[in-house]
Amino acid sequence: MARSIYNALRIYWYMVEASIRAQMQYSYAFIMNILGWMMHYTGMAITMWVLLYSFQALNGWVYWELIFLFALSVLSWSICTIFFFHFRKLDVHIVQGTFDRFLVRPISPFFHFMALKFDVGALGQLFFSIGAFILAYIKLSLHWSWAEWLVFLGAVIGGTLIQGGMLVLISTIAFYTTRSERVFWVLIFPFRNLINYPLTIFPKAMQMFITFVLPFAFVNYLPALILLDKADPVFPGFWGSLSIFVGILFFWFSYRVWQKGVDRYNSTGS
Amino acid sequence: MAGLCGKLRMYLEFSRISFQRAAAYRFEAWMRLFSNVVFLFMWGFIWYGLYMDRDSVSGVTFQSVFSYVLISQMLQGIHSAGTPLWEIQEKVRSGDIVTEIIRPYDYPTRLLFADLGSIAFYFLTAIFPLYSVIFLIFRPLIPTSPEQWFLFFLSVVLGYLIRYFIELTFGLFTFWLIETGGVEDIFYFAISLFSGATIPLWFFPGWLNTLARYLPFQGIYFVPNAIFVGELGGTELFSALTVQLFWVAVSFLILRFVWYKAGKKIVGQGG
Repeated sequence: MARSIYNALRIYWYMVEASIRAQMQYSYAFIMNILGWMMHYTGMAITMWVLLYSFQALNGWVYWELIFLFALSVLSWSICTIFFFHFRKLDVHIVQGTFDRFLVRPISPFFHFMALKFDVGALGQLFFSIGAFILAYIKLSLHWSWAEWLVFLGAVIGGTLIQGGMLVLISTIAFYTTRSERVFWVLIFPFRNLINYPLTIFPKAMQMFITFVLPFAFVNYLPALILLDKADPVFPGFWGSLSIFVGILFFWFSYRVWQKGVDRYNSTGS
Repeated sequence: MAGLCGKLRMYLEFSRISFQRAAAYRFEAWMRLFSNVVFLFMWGFIWYGLYMDRDSVSGVTFQSVFSYVLISQMLQGIHSAGTPLWEIQEKVRSGDIVTEIIRPYDYPTRLLFADLGSIAFYFLTAIFPLYSVIFLIFRPLIPTSPEQWFLFFLSVVLGYLIRYFIELTFGLFTFWLIETGGVEDIFYFAISLFSGATIPLWFFPGWLNTLARYLPFQGIYFVPNAIFVGELGGTELFSALTVQLFWVAVSFLILRFVWYKAGKKIVGQGG
């Protein structure tokens, strides 16, 4: 067991190295990609600032608290995109028949597909979110104890697994309908925008959906309640510390569904 | 005159074809509509949350802002049915644009008419039915006189042309810059903020508001939206329309210039 994991990691690293080298070949495009992501998120942060300029607060959340919420979701998203962002493009591989090569090799197709790309462009989002997080931490004069740092760490790992799980889950649709990228942009993109704002502004049904069906609330809102010392009328405070467990569970579920999809999959040629 | 009529008939044929072609992409249309509704939902509740126990902010009531968001989201839905920027960029990168240039029509004009066709289909089958229901349920502010309706439609058309000319010009920059990553994000940010698509210019800090008024983007959504909800009237309305007209002319001239330069840039390989 230990040996096979070691072997798998060795292979993964080998393929990742090749992927990084491939992306670095176009150094101009590489830098533009990183810059582009930073611009994109900085633009969103500026838009939030303009939004709050005349109003000062949104449901009791001031600007830097919103930035904190935003940075927390982008942080785990950027880590998850490094590993899983190309899953949204599974449909292309299936339509063009290139997915078949993942099935005929002596390693798990999931693993092999995951190693296809190691998205260094996501560094732009990572840099932005770390910068925004540090600024918010200073501006809100936070002083966390080790327990709060643990909650933070749990939120980052849990958020990575939850959002990575969603990318995996969305890609599974490609096995049945040969479509995944459009579904990603239509489903995940708007919801990722939604969670940049405190959940309390939305109706109860939406809050429940975002907590229990697509567990986005565990990515940033619930941990932020603990980390910013805020209270929610519905959710008990300690829920924010459960992110990592929800993440493991959700990712495991998505992984199982993906495996089911592979089992059912017949190449487009047949 | 007869020549002009023939030309118009040819371009309208492009509209007709893309109207029919749009029917084949039902799935895409439904997906776009879903995402449009989620964003409407999100902005509706953000403004509701911002207004919580306040009647008016900067002299604007919640009713006005809510109506603004509704009409803005509807117009954005209409704009989204046009040819996306990446498709134009891909055409330039792959060289397919040459097949457009050698044909006996003007590409920017053909694309405009083709987009009008797909927009007409999307509007009739998706946007109009959906927003009719939403308007009936929420009863937002709507134009109260035929003149206001007319000026609103005029402003929408001018706004569409501004957006189209600017976006196509930006797409044509691909002739010189193969990779536009960072610049493209600044461009999108500028459009989304300064057009007033999501935040009306009323709530901008003074200096930013002044800046926005000098940029062409406000003509895309802010002016038609403000006319629709009745926040723009009298002489202010006419100066806003004049400014829109001015930007239509300027962005058109820039587009023609860039298109002319792009035509010179093409190098035939193997010829």
